Amino acid sequence: MAAPAEAQKYIQLAKKLPKQLLSFFKQFPPNTPRPTTAASNAPESPHANNPFLAASPLTNPTYNPFLPWRNPVTGKWRPPMVSLRRQAELCKLARGHGVEELLPFSKKQSFVRDAVKEEGLKVRGTGVGQRVKGKAWERTLKGRLEKRRQAMLGMEKMVEQWEQRGHGRGWKKWPK
Amino acid sequence: MAKKAKSRTIAVRLISMAMTGFFRTEVRPRASRPLSYRKYDPVVRKQVLFLEQKRGK
Repeated sequence: MAAPAEAQKYIQLAKKLPKQLLSFFKQFPPNTPRPTTAASNAPESPHANNPFLAASPLTNPTYNPFLPWRNPVTGKWRPPMVSLRRQAELCKLARGHGVEELLPFSKKQSFVRDAVKEEGLKVRGTGVGQRVKGKAWERTLKGRLEKRRQAMLGMEKMVEQWEQRGHGRGWKKWPK
Repeated sequence: MAKKAKSRTIAVRLISMAMTGFFRTEVRPRASRPLSYRKYDPVVRKQVLFLEQKRGK
């Protein structure tokens, strides 16, 4: 039986993909909803009553191999099945062949990287309802200038008083 | 052991009364009265009063 034309197109496309991507898609078929955070990475195993099967992430069809995984039996964390270096390689390959969105969520995907870059370029405190904290000298500058201004206003009177009291002979209020 | 003798002179700090944080240091005999004078403060660019800072224990 011949496959429909649409399917044929995808088969042709798949034949052009490099070996690494094909073997990845074979193990983790695209168009399967997979979690985007480590906490939600296949927490419930379909084999909850079988500890041997539940202790392997590969028995869970929604497992994302690009994220850490928590063993539901022992509660221990396991690093991503595909290391960050290999994730980057796969994402780069997939980007070159225009199939990046078929990969599960990874922080090496271009849209995530762009978002992170955008976030990093933002000046902290310039968002809605935020304030730029500034350095300590910037925050206290206004008060210090005001204090200095007040001191200068009273300076003439102070000098006069000081001269009257014998240029400091009778001065009582020495600064600390 | 006998205590070390105190020096005859001391270094003192004279603070600008313009509250700029600017100060000058002088050396005066320990027994003399505190120093004070009018001098230039580069922060406010004026002659202001400088008074000797109280010494701690």
